[in-house]
Amino acid sequence: MEDVAKGLGLLLEFENIVLILSGVLIGVLVGALPGLSSPMAIALLIPFTISLDPVAAISMMAALYCAGTFGGSITAILINAPGAPPAVATALDGYPMAKNGEPGRALGLAAVSSVFGGVFSLIIFIFAAPLLAQLALEFGPAEYFGLAVFALSMLASMSGKSSLRNLISGLVGVLIGTIGIHLTTGVERFTFGSPDLEEGIHFVPVLIGLFAVSELFKQSEKLNNVVERIQAKALKLPSLLELKKLKYTILRSSGIGTFIGILPAEGSTVAAIIGYNEARRWSKNKDQFGKGSPEGIVGPEAANNAAAGGAMVPTLALGIPGSGSTALILAALIMHGFRPGPYLISETPEFVYAIFGAMLIANLGFLFIGLIGAKFFSLVAFIPKKLLWPAVFIFSMIGSYSFASSMFDVWVMLAAGLVGYFMDRNGFSAAPLVMGLILGKLVEESFSQSMIIHDNNFFALLESPVVLLFFVLTFLSLSSPFWVKFFTKKAVSK
Amino acid sequence: MLPKKNAPSNLGALLNKKDTVIAILMIALIGFLWFETTEFEKVPDLFSNNIPPEMFPQILLIIILGMILIIPFEHIFLKKNGKNIDSGRDKPIERSTIGTMVILSTIVASSQILGAAITIIAISIALPIYWGEKRLKVLIPYIIGFPLFVIILFNIVLGVHFEPGLLALIKN
Repeated sequence: MEDVAKGLGLLLEFENIVLILSGVLIGVLVGALPGLSSPMAIALLIPFTISLDPVAAISMMAALYCAGTFGGSITAILINAPGAPPAVATALDGYPMAKNGEPGRALGLAAVSSVFGGVFSLIIFIFAAPLLAQLALEFGPAEYFGLAVFALSMLASMSGKSSLRNLISGLVGVLIGTIGIHLTTGVERFTFGSPDLEEGIHFVPVLIGLFAVSELFKQSEKLNNVVERIQAKALKLPSLLELKKLKYTILRSSGIGTFIGILPAEGSTVAAIIGYNEARRWSKNKDQFGKGSPEGIVGPEAANNAAAGGAMVPTLALGIPGSGSTALILAALIMHGFRPGPYLISETPEFVYAIFGAMLIANLGFLFIGLIGAKFFSLVAFIPKKLLWPAVFIFSMIGSYSFASSMFDVWVMLAAGLVGYFMDRNGFSAAPLVMGLILGKLVEESFSQSMIIHDNNFFALLESPVVLLFFVLTFLSLSSPFWVKFFTKKAVSK
Repeated sequence: MLPKKNAPSNLGALLNKKDTVIAILMIALIGFLWFETTEFEKVPDLFSNNIPPEMFPQILLIIILGMILIIPFEHIFLKKNGKNIDSGRDKPIERSTIGTMVILSTIVASSQILGAAITIIAISIALPIYWGEKRLKVLIPYIIGFPLFVIILFNIVLGVHFEPGLLALIKN
């Protein structure tokens, strides 16, 4: 309790509250703007928050992350264009309900279920994170290596066209992480004699390039897309009676979302789609789905916001990001001098509780902002792309440059943007590369330490039951396309 | 004779052309990086604890190489799952995208000479005009207002150092 009080004490300073609410506002804005995304906004925010107090900086990013997930549903409902991928399933029933003349009701259902999903996952977070951290404190380098390998294998199931390409992206990220001076021996690796590469490739320009600049190139292909908008004057909160009818759908989706969020590399989009499918499967009014069913809105919305909270559990407790956005928050934590993982919770619990508090405020904040600003947010989607994207590039350039006052970083950003564009075109996702880049150091360090401890005998690692468990999970994760297909076929034939 | 005639077309059906090109390029890159790892400074085993600096990158390169060899054939498995790997790349890259890449690369390349303020103004002018924004009512306030906002926010309020570039020459 003392730690909770300390955490809240850290958080409840005027400056921090203002920054959290700014994070919420930016989150809802970027969520509502098709093309802009929470990971992109967090990547752009990192260089400008480096000089801030860590509590303020990380709280702002966590708030942005929560609000961005909800923001995407505004445009999904009003213009049938999900502002962010996790809102894809919300559009299926949100837009028909808005078209049927109830845009305020659709937004209200989305907001309330998002808040519920978010708060539910935070409650799980507050109990699960310390337990997981306690467990992880027993981990040695070998167990960490097993965990990191398992996390990398989970990249295969991240959204994208191909599991194989996701894995390649992740490993390329790990490889990029080896650029610079080798910590154990002091040998330069892949620096090609350039002093700029001795410190390795900075996270920030790579993240900005992959998320913001590559998206700019993609958007430059579709500058003249015209969308139809439905007017929403205000957000209309659902009645208690309606909520009573939807309570099981919201609860189920919150549980699903939290669980999927906790799994390394599984994100809000997967949670939302499963939340939607489960809402439909359990519904008594299946025929209403696709025509404006309230369950079709609350199902994915509760799930995607719950996944946002759930993804923070492995991020803070194990140092393994649960999604693209949490990978960026992890990068920010490292830049602020923290080592995310069990020691973060055991040594600075008040910091973790402060982040928890920030996410709680964010969840209530976007309900409030949604209530007063629904009309405004439905308009932001109409900011001309021809003016919006040059602004994004300018912010990207300043963000990359200001991090280390280096023009080299601006070039890295541009190169990452070009690479990201061609990767995306050929079915390689950027998010696994970022996660690989962030996990890279942990993978190499834990691998080297394990090898030293076990006298270079790789098979000796398997003597630890935890390592063995992670390797079995890795095998199951990598072979999942085959056995899922096998069991699905069996179920269908029955 | 028939099987011989059919052989190239069968192979053609097995390989996805674009993915084959990607695989060849990546294998070449891996080859280059492997060579680079052999050029890393040699460290005595005692000093490196038997984990030489090239060991980890080489393991990664081998695993990546193994995966890349599957890439040209992957379209067959994806098709079975109803996915089309060529769906995003069946059309050539739009001219507007290539133009955007060229403009931004040129501006970044000249940004050290131009300085931060002029670079920001150049981007605010060049991209909207290149993308076809013709409404002066929108364009003029944007070209003046946005760079001003950015300079005030980042340079004056947040204290980000902006290289003066050409402005320093004009001042002098």
